[in-house]
Amino acid sequence: MRVIRACRDMGLASVAVYSECDRGARHVRLADEAFAIGPSAPTDSYLRIDRLIDAARTSGADAVHPGYGFLAENEVFAAACRDAGLTFIGPAPEVIALMGSKTSARHAAMAAGVPVVPGTAQPFAPDAPEAAIADEAARLGYPVLIKAVAGGGGKGMRLVAAPGDLASATRAARSEAGAAFGDAAIYLERRLARPRHVEVQLLGDLHGTVQPFVERECSIQRRHQKVIEETPSPVVSAELRARITSAAAAVARSVGYSSAGTIEFLLDEDGRFYFLEMNTRLQVEHPITELVTGVDLVEWQIRIARGDRLDLDPAVALTPRGHAIECRIYAEDPDAGFMPSPGRITAIGAPAGPFVRDDSGAEAGSDVPIFYDPMISKLSAWGADRRQAIGRMQRALGEYDVRGIRTTVPFFRWMLAEPSFEAAAFHTSTLDELLQQRQGESFSTPNEEEEEVAAIAAALHEDASRAGRVLLDPAARWVRQDPPYVAPRGGWKRQARVEALRS
Amino acid sequence: MTLEIGTPSRARVVQIVRAEGRLRVRIDGASRPVDAVRVGGGAWSLLIGHPVARSYEVAIAESAPGELVVYVRGRLVPVTVGGRFRLRRRGATAAGAPSGPQRIVAPMSGRVINVLVKAGDAVEARQGLVVVEAMKMENELRAIHAGTVREVRVAEGASVEAGTVLVVIE
Repeated sequence: MRVIRACRDMGLASVAVYSECDRGARHVRLADEAFAIGPSAPTDSYLRIDRLIDAARTSGADAVHPGYGFLAENEVFAAACRDAGLTFIGPAPEVIALMGSKTSARHAAMAAGVPVVPGTAQPFAPDAPEAAIADEAARLGYPVLIKAVAGGGGKGMRLVAAPGDLASATRAARSEAGAAFGDAAIYLERRLARPRHVEVQLLGDLHGTVQPFVERECSIQRRHQKVIEETPSPVVSAELRARITSAAAAVARSVGYSSAGTIEFLLDEDGRFYFLEMNTRLQVEHPITELVTGVDLVEWQIRIARGDRLDLDPAVALTPRGHAIECRIYAEDPDAGFMPSPGRITAIGAPAGPFVRDDSGAEAGSDVPIFYDPMISKLSAWGADRRQAIGRMQRALGEYDVRGIRTTVPFFRWMLAEPSFEAAAFHTSTLDELLQQRQGESFSTPNEEEEEVAAIAAALHEDASRAGRVLLDPAARWVRQDPPYVAPRGGWKRQARVEALRS
Repeated sequence: MTLEIGTPSRARVVQIVRAEGRLRVRIDGASRPVDAVRVGGGAWSLLIGHPVARSYEVAIAESAPGELVVYVRGRLVPVTVGGRFRLRRRGATAAGAPSGPQRIVAPMSGRVINVLVKAGDAVEARQGLVVVEAMKMENELRAIHAGTVREVRVAEGASVEAGTVLVVIE
């Protein structure tokens, strides 16, 4: 939807692809044309390069935007597009391959003079002996992180505190990496103490210009998955910004990077930063950069793919105008250990109003399928400063009303009011520590006022339904379908009232 | 009409009085006028109090006979209606005494990635039993109470539907 909207802004026609369960999805209805590419399981549809190329050819599309999931960082797909005479809106396949391998990306960063987190020089093949992995872990020193070479989004990643846990964590990481990326190769990295995750968005054109943007702070993570992002980082000074963005641009230039990409760094407590990895695609959190710079990143991706020169004023890209925050809202039940909560959304009230942006495909009557990542909204808010941005985000979260499924909205309402968040005193493990301290305590505990109002509403509902009226949400699937009981004698008056009330 | 409404913290007695086409609600001893109108999206707007009225948007769905979920300004409040309410104290399932065998069920459709226990194993409370993958994430299902595994009904690699009993613990 984000890409379709950018196309429409530019007067370009768009073609969507969809799997069986996405037939009714909003991106299909929003696009000018749409092509079915197979059954719901991603391996039968969204990951089928042959079908995607076929759809592009049949539609006569000139270019392919890979989005930010599925094949967005897949060099085979990028090469297949090129071979089919289609413009791939992203970096060259060789660059995706180079930066997609976490170990060769580390080499590229080192070659560009950028420090990296101490770790394995070469990846471990899926059949590498456990003893070799154990030796390497001992050399780096515990705790170590096991990471998938092809990884991203925290999948295939395990933290190992002590040698005894290494073997089982290795197995788990390999199995998850193999399932998620089709590549079970792993590597090890030393775990820094209390680091922050700070990343630099950049754009590169086909003529050698690379422009970095003001950094994003993404330290609020649950099990290595970002849940809140903000820009600028509350702890990055203008001097550090100049150094970290130059370092990111140096890495991107050294590999001939084009299109949108992000270089992720870990920032330690002493303000030293280390190259972590590069995402060779548009990222989920790109809206906050757009909000503080006024630059449309997707439009630039398309223009760059067309051969346009990147002529942005560096001051615009690097000087944040105000502060922006994004919450990734998931169909997960925060009161049940963030268990996915697929199902039908019976009603949804999305926030709007000043300085709020809701990038969402969810709507009343739509299903959150079990097959895909259960993110339902990327909710962003802008303020002149961090405090105002937080206030607006809290207002927007207060308005967000999703019924039928559980979402992480109650969690975000709590998180934005947390003293450590307000004070910006956090690192990448802070959220996991806070959640551990809560020991599963509910985020949805109603207060006295809410309970009282609920009791009044329930009593009114009961009273009304006994009187033959219905106060139920008609969209809810558990609404009683039976007509209300009508007394046979003298019932006509009441029946008339029932019908009047229903019409 | 007088009703007993169970809310998460306690039971409340709510009395509804209709007079001259107006609605009054007495709750916890205080009587207040209420105005209710249907609004979009299946919700209701309640104005409670007069002349100064507090404004609430609520939606009601029936989760089971006698049990409702009420969304108050987007927050979900489970309630029970009529003498049937059971006061469910927070954390009762985790801290309370085990009653009968625990049936660990799949909370959603997915694929069993890993079975961590076998019949006869002694398990601690919160010990991992089965790992189910759904929506690209692995979820570990854990024991609620300590006990002994009586039955493991699934094998690794199996596809399970939501509600399928995976493990029974005594």
